[in-house]
Amino acid sequence: MATEATGNGDIVRLEGVHKWFGDLHVLRGVDLQMTQRDVVVVIGPSGSGKSTLLRCVNMLETPTLGKVWFDGRDITDIRTNLDEIRTHIGLVFQAFNLFPHMTALRNVTLALTNVLKLDGAKARERAMEQLARVGMDHKAEAYPGQLSGGQQQRVAIARALAMEPRLMLFDEVTSALDPELVGEVLEVMIRLAGEGMTMMVVTHEMGFAREVGTRMIFMDEGLVVEAGEPREMYYHPQTERLRQFLAKVL
Amino acid sequence: MSALEIEAEAGIHREAPPDTRGPSSPISATALWLGIGAIAMVLGGVLAVQLNYALSDRVLTEHCIEVGLTRDITGALGVCNIIEALRAQETTALLYVGAALGIAGIAVGFGIYRKMDTVRRREQAITGALLGILAVQIAVVLLVFRSGRPDLFAKHFLNFTVLSPYFITPFLNAMKNTIVLAFAGELGGIIIGLILAMLVLSKRRAARAPARVYINFFRGTPLIWQLATFYFLLLFGFEVRMSAFNVAMIVFALNTGAYAAEVFRAGIQSIERGQMEAARSLGMTYYQAMRFAIVPQAVRRVIPPLMNEFVILVKDTALVIVLGLLISEQELFQWARSGVSDTFNATFYTATALGYLTVTLPLIYLVNQVERRLRSGLVGITGAGH
Repeated sequence: MATEATGNGDIVRLEGVHKWFGDLHVLRGVDLQMTQRDVVVVIGPSGSGKSTLLRCVNMLETPTLGKVWFDGRDITDIRTNLDEIRTHIGLVFQAFNLFPHMTALRNVTLALTNVLKLDGAKARERAMEQLARVGMDHKAEAYPGQLSGGQQQRVAIARALAMEPRLMLFDEVTSALDPELVGEVLEVMIRLAGEGMTMMVVTHEMGFAREVGTRMIFMDEGLVVEAGEPREMYYHPQTERLRQFLAKVL
Repeated sequence: MSALEIEAEAGIHREAPPDTRGPSSPISATALWLGIGAIAMVLGGVLAVQLNYALSDRVLTEHCIEVGLTRDITGALGVCNIIEALRAQETTALLYVGAALGIAGIAVGFGIYRKMDTVRRREQAITGALLGILAVQIAVVLLVFRSGRPDLFAKHFLNFTVLSPYFITPFLNAMKNTIVLAFAGELGGIIIGLILAMLVLSKRRAARAPARVYINFFRGTPLIWQLATFYFLLLFGFEVRMSAFNVAMIVFALNTGAYAAEVFRAGIQSIERGQMEAARSLGMTYYQAMRFAIVPQAVRRVIPPLMNEFVILVKDTALVIVLGLLISEQELFQWARSGVSDTFNATFYTATALGYLTVTLPLIYLVNQVERRLRSGLVGITGAGH
């Protein structure tokens, strides 16, 4: 196998990742390592490539150049079965992306029965467990259209968690929510981090980034400009660009 | 939990709104009734005269015999009654009075509607004027029609007596065949269309190109050409001896497949890309994502356009006339054609139109219902306020 083990115990490793959209150079050489229980928070101005970077981790975007390893396997290798890899990586979107024609419960069980091939009763049991974990078990039979944004996002988190992923990716999951609904989603994420889930979080919630992150990455114009301990970066930014960014968002 | 319970919990209150259209007034009601009266005279009155002539005991008149409706012609009396009712003084009076009422309704309605101070009054004024316009139009058309040769038209298109030996059993059989052809074509077309849509949406040109060629060919050539050619293509080219009816079903399916493919493609492309991404991020394959997440949503959105295709197909079944079907396989149009050539009377075409309408009108109604449910709200784009 060409997928030589380069993990050193890292769950995620990015090496020289570039991404072009047409002639737009969005990621311009990003390196990143994540180990178990890391909560990496990615901040930066819009258009800086944060979301693209996060989506490269589960290959929803294919890096134009560079390599991505997950759990020691080179997932940029064309022979890697991405569908199998993705069952270990949960992704939560800004726009929730629940399946609107299915109940909350069915949203969660769909991949359990069709991808993990669990039988109906087992899938249902596991789905209800996860819905309860995000406080949504009482709305298991509701359709997404009948739920508030915060409730939909919590169902989306349960849907991802039900796969029992080893890594969770959060892509600006509170940006589309009314301010009064942000708290309930952040609360779930904080609890997850506390339970030791490995997470990568693209966010504009600076309080969350500072308090919950174990590591912070500041991106600008497709590059990692500064990385380090969140509080340290927050209170003592080393680069001018991070200083300017923090001044603007606070 | 039911939808209502969920609403109740979310603090949504449901209750019929009050009627805020306000009171009526004598002048606006006059405009409305002028319009209604005009329509009643022009449509209802003329129809009543026709019914009266049709149902009362009558004989062939001088006039009818003069224009060639002699006793030896089947159904001569019925046609004569139609002509006489149309010529009758009652009809003349109804048309002129109706038109006059209509003009009055237009004048009053359009004259006053701006000054009306409640919604109900204004709507009454405008509705009266609109009905007046309709009544005047119908009256003018009937008067002009009457001044031509309505006798010839009635003789050839409204002689329902000539239908009797061909009616009910052969007619229903023809109707059944029309529906079978359209239904088979639509069903096959949906399957072909879904497969083609998948191919057309492929990122690989080698998959897209052949599907494109197929779609463009079937959309780019006349259906009547496809019908005429494929029968012989199968017979001579592939030595497949198939009844014209079966060939027609296949051609309809192939043709509808091309159109349905475009409908499905548009439907699938209208689903937000996040749906595909969510499904793929859960480890589903492209095929699973399509099957469970994308296509079920797309199908809902394309039901109205597909049903429209079906309505079109029902009518296009008439084109099998180029294949010449066995008597038992005849659909509505060929039923009419053979009736016409037997009797030299075109009333069969009139009956055929009614046959098509009994199939298509419920379908059109259904499409509109489904569309309304999918769109919800927005009845007419009238903008805001007054």
